[in-house]
Amino acid sequence: MAADIATRIYPFMPGGAADGTKLVSGAVVLSDLTDKPRFGLKGGGSAAWLAAQGVKPPAVNRIGDHRGMRILRLGNEDILLLAEGAGETLAEIKTAWQTAPSPKGYSSWREEGWAWMRLSGPRLAEAMSGLCALDLRPQKFGAEDIAQTRVGHIEAVAFRSPAGFDILFDVTASAYFARAVAAVAGHTDQHRGHP
Amino acid sequence: MNRLPAPFGNRIDRSRRIRFTFEGKPFEGYEGDSIASALAASGQWVLSRSFKYHRPRGILSMTGADANVLVQLPSEPNAGAERTPVSEGLRVSAQNVNGSLERDRDAIMDRFGRFLPVGFYYRTFMGPRRDSWLKFWEPIIRRKAGLGVVDTKAPHRHFDKTHLHCDVLVVGAGPAGLNAAIAAAEAGADVVLCDENPEIGGSLSYGRYDPAILSNLSSRLKALPNLRVLTGTVCNGWYEDNWLPLIQGNRLHRTRAREVILATGAIEQPAVFRNNDLPGIMLGVATQRLVRHYGVRPGRSAVVLAANEDGYRTALDLLDAGVAVVELVDPRSVGDAGPLEAELRGKGVAIRKGATIEAAAGTSGNRHLARVRVGGSWIACDLLAVSIGQAPAWQLPCQAGGKVGYDAAAEMMTITLPEGSVHLGGAVAGTDELPDAIGSGQRAAAAALSRLGHAMAVEPPITPKSVGPRYVQPILADPKGRDFVDFDEDLQVKDLQNATKDGYREIELVKRFTTVGMGPSQGRHSALATARVVAEATGRSVAEIGITTARPPVGPETLGVLAGHHEALERRTALHAKHVALNAAMKPIGAWWRPYYYGDASGAEEAVREETLAVREGVGLLDVSTLGKLEIRGPDAGEFLDRLYTMAHANQPIGRVRYCLMLNEMGSVVDDGVAYRMAQDQFYVTATTGAVARVYADMLFRNAEWRLKVDVLNLTGAFSGLNVTGPKARLVLEALESDIDFSRDAFPYLSGREGTVAGVPVRVMRIGFTGELSYELHCPSSQAPHLWDAVMAAGRPHGLRPYGLEASRILRLEKGHILIGQDTDAITTPDELGFGWAVSKKKPFFVGKRSIEMRARLGQTRRLVGLQFPAGARNIPGESCLVLRGGAPVGQITSVGYSPSLGRHIALAYVHVDDQAEGSRVTVKCRDGELVEVPVVAHAFFDPTNARQEI
Repeated sequence: MAADIATRIYPFMPGGAADGTKLVSGAVVLSDLTDKPRFGLKGGGSAAWLAAQGVKPPAVNRIGDHRGMRILRLGNEDILLLAEGAGETLAEIKTAWQTAPSPKGYSSWREEGWAWMRLSGPRLAEAMSGLCALDLRPQKFGAEDIAQTRVGHIEAVAFRSPAGFDILFDVTASAYFARAVAAVAGHTDQHRGHP
Repeated sequence: MNRLPAPFGNRIDRSRRIRFTFEGKPFEGYEGDSIASALAASGQWVLSRSFKYHRPRGILSMTGADANVLVQLPSEPNAGAERTPVSEGLRVSAQNVNGSLERDRDAIMDRFGRFLPVGFYYRTFMGPRRDSWLKFWEPIIRRKAGLGVVDTKAPHRHFDKTHLHCDVLVVGAGPAGLNAAIAAAEAGADVVLCDENPEIGGSLSYGRYDPAILSNLSSRLKALPNLRVLTGTVCNGWYEDNWLPLIQGNRLHRTRAREVILATGAIEQPAVFRNNDLPGIMLGVATQRLVRHYGVRPGRSAVVLAANEDGYRTALDLLDAGVAVVELVDPRSVGDAGPLEAELRGKGVAIRKGATIEAAAGTSGNRHLARVRVGGSWIACDLLAVSIGQAPAWQLPCQAGGKVGYDAAAEMMTITLPEGSVHLGGAVAGTDELPDAIGSGQRAAAAALSRLGHAMAVEPPITPKSVGPRYVQPILADPKGRDFVDFDEDLQVKDLQNATKDGYREIELVKRFTTVGMGPSQGRHSALATARVVAEATGRSVAEIGITTARPPVGPETLGVLAGHHEALERRTALHAKHVALNAAMKPIGAWWRPYYYGDASGAEEAVREETLAVREGVGLLDVSTLGKLEIRGPDAGEFLDRLYTMAHANQPIGRVRYCLMLNEMGSVVDDGVAYRMAQDQFYVTATTGAVARVYADMLFRNAEWRLKVDVLNLTGAFSGLNVTGPKARLVLEALESDIDFSRDAFPYLSGREGTVAGVPVRVMRIGFTGELSYELHCPSSQAPHLWDAVMAAGRPHGLRPYGLEASRILRLEKGHILIGQDTDAITTPDELGFGWAVSKKKPFFVGKRSIEMRARLGQTRRLVGLQFPAGARNIPGESCLVLRGGAPVGQITSVGYSPSLGRHIALAYVHVDDQAEGSRVTVKCRDGELVEVPVVAHAFFDPTNARQEI
């Protein structure tokens, strides 16, 4: 397993597809979590199987938690487990799933298909307003809400994290996304001074 | 100099001088000045020439809403001089002049007015010959028409777009808007207040009001963190569901508000009399704005035409600014003398009641006002301030569904909005006086808050202070004309009257015939007067005439604001860095970056040839990660594919790979790929790079429609693909650590296997586009770079070469493999491709089945075939060159290229269905028009028996 992990290269790593693209920092900060553990199930039987493991899926487009993991319900039968700092718990569930008999849903391969990035910084709200058309004011979009929308003109899943906004999107667009965020951060910068 | 001392000039910073030029002459202003105010301060009152008669024009309203003040900036035409700030070194020039602003050769047009009656061009330019319009008149008119000049070399400017959400949007930060915004924010709502001016206050910033009112509102505003103020921001439209574009300089706020309060104020209306367009004749508010905003004295000796209290206040303001008020002319004959009148009389101003301005006369060339005629006698003056009435700013309310009406008793234009989330406050709702405006704003806020769910005390209905009917100027055509109703379009009273005589009685027809209201001011200063003229001329009421439809945008907006900023979308495969490290020529294909070939551009041709031959003779490696990859899972997965694709998949054995062809509802080929059955309930399906997004969307749609037990997952980014192909491909794979048996018997052509290669989990399919022994290795993208390195290392002893898209295209062309979208078009059927073998005859249904059967009955007309040019052929047709039969086009070349393996050019082309047989000769028209004859090849150009791919 250790050897297996050593062979993985994500976009912003040396040798990755977006290697050399800078992640903006300052008033708006973009950080990459793509290599952080996550595991998703999709298709018939997913929710029931997870429930049987004690993972209680929240309502669609809401976030729940289970032993330090965040449980994102993206659809009736589309559930994503994010395990930033809870890798062991996730590994247990993953192992259990691999050896379990069907029906148990199917892997959604989100750890491969989606980049996972985090936007933060003092001008986060302004940057998000530039990137996303949704009403993300705190009173409208809470800590447990999920938006399946477009961010920076590409399809994305957005939700709050304690540090800012987490965004999941097509991993092949990683370099583009970093540029789009940097451009918006630049506008935010240029516009400073305006009330 | 016309500059007044402080405290006049609340917008300017006298410590910062700004130098700029106008018409090549140097001028000076202050930071905060607009172009018009800085020029006025220096005595330059003429800013432009009028559209048709080239008459000198100047400041009218100081709101930048009319053609009078449009000027040319180096990279911006039609800039409103009244609103555009001066900047150091700015070069400003006049527009629509032939020669210079001072000496405009086209000023002679003013004498020929009677030969240019309204609508004359509809009749004049029809002849004398049939082509006179196109050949003669239009070029002349094009030269004369238009205002500013577009600078095609303008430097790039930076624009951006952002989104804004709020509970309440208040448009207009005048007394009503400020009070509405404060009331809403104090109740806890999330409020945005926007105003096009650089400061809040509206009329409080320039009118004759106690400054404490504004400073008090200002401090209440500052104490509200939930109230966001956007000054210098134009609300340029209202769209469905309260979507409003707020333009703040180069930034567009795409705003969505739950409730909208429009406090857009009123537009003061000009008076109509002969020569009412002379520079020096301006609206009362324009003089107040000049004085208070910019500290500019609007004249030395003024006559004030006042039919309301605002006019009396204007006269008092002018006195304060040191302007001699020669006389105040009040056309109303009755009415009590109010305190303002008494104050004016106390200051020695003569007030003449029951009289009006009958005409004005100008200095030489009509460059400035010289005198006005009142009661038959001429009074010398250089300023006429006009305050005779106003119209509500109807543009935004009308876009939001408001209806314009006319209250005949009060003689005022009214706007009524349906009950809903848009509210009116202040002058736009018909209030005249400050306390009414404040109350109206607060009531609008209460209505909005109540709709937002706040418990509000029920406000009493609006009971405006009882006022008598407003003054209405009788509009009579001056016998000598030049009594302008629409300054933008140089339209006089008689022009409108003549239009009605010609039968254009409806306002929308009058507008189109005369062009009234079509200029930059969009009827702001002419719509009400036009309605009155047409009502009078047709014997109807103003309410029956109405005004023309107001549509977004409210005012002009730059294309840059609409475009905003866009980063170009790009997608990179997981192997991007590998290609770059190998010096690949990376090119964008749609959003994807793909290697064209490996090596320097100077050796491109050689590189492509070598890459092609490496695949034919040794082994090559292609990154096929951009292929669409879909996983279809669930008990009904086979049935689902059976319905979507033309071949049979429900009965496809596990471990087998089948070609799949997708049609649309009209039976046209839209996509192809392969389906690898990994398990009874699981297929791994490829789609073409360009079509996968649509194929995936279609699958989701069909899945929802058919309600089968299926889940569709798009793995395009999650999985990467490496194609190892060439006679030595098996040797390379067998050299890798793997649990898959790659031998011919264990892993035959068109089968698929799961396992690991070099420690990487893979899905391997024996398929390919090259016609050689070929394996496609698909793996999770994060491990693709590792797999690439392993394959490269294992291939080194066998001469493995990575190859790019160019070589790939040639290899497939040599095999006659089609590219969907290049070799197919919107109507290509499987039969036209010779793909009858790929269409199941047994299945009861698949998408497009019924259509291809119907189309087959209509008869086939064309067929895609191969064309092989003789070695050394001189003239080779390009893609899209026509295939002719008996001189008529019957098809076209779809792909063409040079085959290094065959040493000649080959092509795919649609030919007449009767020419499809091997050896038929077809005629193709080359780019230079030469017709060449080419023989048809009815099989793959290279390896006709397809033996090589099955070794």
